[in-house]
Amino acid sequence: MTQLADPAALTLADVPTLTALPGEILALRNTVRAWARERLAPEVRRLDEDDAAAFDWGLVREGHDLGLTRLVVPKQFGGLGQGEFGVAVALEELAAVDAGFALIFGATMLGQAPVLLSGDPRLQARFLPLFCGDHPVLACNAITEDQAGCDLLIPENAQFARGVMRARREGEHYVLDGSKKFITNGKVATYATVFANIEGQPGATGLTCFVVMLDRPGITLGEVADKMSYRSCLGTEMHFEHVVVPEENVVGGEGGGVYVNIQQMNMARAAVAAISTGVARGALEQAIEWAGDRVQGGVPLREHQFTARKLAEMSAKVDAARMLYLKAAHLADNAIPAPAYEPAVAKLFADQVAIEVATEAMGLMGARGYLRDHGMEKRLRDALGARIYEGTPEVLALAVTEAIYTDDDF
Amino acid sequence: MGAFTSKEQATSVFTTLFDILLRDERFAATVRDENLSVQFFHSAPDLTVFVSADGVWIDETPSAPAISIKMSCDSADALWSGRLLMPIALATGKIRIKGSVAKVIEFVPLLQPAFDRYPAIAAEAGVGARR
Ligand SMILES: Cc1cc2nc3c(=O)[nH]c(=O)nc-3n(C[C@H](O)[C@H](O)[C@H](O)COP(=O)(O)OP(=O)(O)OC[C@H]3O[C@@H](n4cnc5c(N)ncnc54)[C@H](O)[C@@H]3O)c2cc1C
Repeated sequence: MTQLADPAALTLADVPTLTALPGEILALRNTVRAWARERLAPEVRRLDEDDAAAFDWGLVREGHDLGLTRLVVPKQFGGLGQGEFGVAVALEELAAVDAGFALIFGATMLGQAPVLLSGDPRLQARFLPLFCGDHPVLACNAITEDQAGCDLLIPENAQFARGVMRARREGEHYVLDGSKKFITNGKVATYATVFANIEGQPGATGLTCFVVMLDRPGITLGEVADKMSYRSCLGTEMHFEHVVVPEENVVGGEGGGVYVNIQQMNMARAAVAAISTGVARGALEQAIEWAGDRVQGGVPLREHQFTARKLAEMSAKVDAARMLYLKAAHLADNAIPAPAYEPAVAKLFADQVAIEVATEAMGLMGARGYLRDHGMEKRLRDALGARIYEGTPEVLALAVTEAIYTDDDF
Repeated sequence: MGAFTSKEQATSVFTTLFDILLRDERFAATVRDENLSVQFFHSAPDLTVFVSADGVWIDETPSAPAISIKMSCDSADALWSGRLLMPIALATGKIRIKGSVAKVIEFVPLLQPAFDRYPAIAAEAGVGARR
């Protein structure tokens, strides 16, 4: 067997670090950082305390003007042609201020991913230019259901999934019936990638991915979930009753949904790890400022050895989380299928770091950390969110161990 | 039994296929403008196919390819015939790609003329005759 030559681009030695980002990514990071600090930060408390169904299209439009709705759309369609690396760096900046806003754009990219991965020029030409016009357009990715949660994310458990949305073939169309739950952007998206099971297949073993315009007859949107955090993005129930979808809107063929889903997750997990890293970094930066100013025992808190140790450990964790997501994103940008191991490890670690760092940071602020006024308790609530979507720790652990025990010569 | 009976048959089919692609205006222009090069690493029978704006090379690597694609000749036959869909092939590891994903995403839709022409080229060469 001929040895596969590694393309020049793929050497682990040149995995970029955050201190040496390529120029284009550095410019992207600086632009998003400035916008998040100047425009998003002043609105965070309002976004958090507003009604669950409130949505700030004005800020989304500003994000759209920056290119955040079309980061991964190829340049020939008017997008920025970024990979996971650029996406992850941008999402860390947003999440350092508000994780919910990062997810508005992250969920849109999840909805774009199957169209990109399809390799189908017709689907791409129909759906990708939507994101590159004057007005912001969002997408969503609809997998989770009332009875089927993690069972739709663990391929071996697809057979056990219950009550999964049905797809029935009728001539050159499919008819979708069923409901989805917790779908980020479901209320505000133009189209959804929807995963439904081909009628007659047990559980979710016939899972199939459909691109569905959300103005189709038969689609109704339910209540917006009243979430603990991530309140700036909307998670919604979506009901599909005899929704007719043309067969050319299928990605990956009948029964290919489970594979499309795995691909999407392996691509997206580095970006979610970046969101958790951003939440942790936001908490760390606030704690550093506080511990530098607050005087107890006659000196700033940071001069107490226990506090110094805490700050140092928090800082090390944030840096380590960032290195893991950058490595995972770099690998995901240079191989298809994206690796399973590195993105899952990066997310597993960063999700945990966000919770630990936000908890410690809150403790360092004493009672003030517990008050809404200072925003630290919101960071802790944000930290708990990313642990649930795109793989809980248990789902990630299965993906990691599966990869560990799989001999991969590629 | 595999789709291809010999390395010579596979070589002839893939050379014809990529020669046709290089005559496609859009494919040729993009490959040239973006300085794209792709090397296919096929197994059973083993052969490599290197494609750049300058031509097609079998079992030669004139320069480091921007994109490397690894798949068996059977998978290649199924893919180009439309029996194996790209997202499934990728997710199941029947096709493995290394190189910039952004470039791959740009490149794959350009392959459409190959999908259109392959069935006729393969039939003429007797590919899959023993299937
Ligand atoms: C902020 C947010 C945004 C979201 N956005 C979206 C979205 O855009 N689209 C979408 O489709 N969904 C979305 N979700 C839903 C999310 O993907 C699911 O909540 C998640 O997959 C878990 O499913 P579940 O809630 O039904 O929990 P369950 O599947 O019921 O799991 C409950 C618990 O059991 C554990 N568990 C389950 N199976 C196993 C097993 N085999 N082994 C060990 N432990 C197991 C889980 O890890 C978890 O701890 C979002 C959720 C949140 C919180």
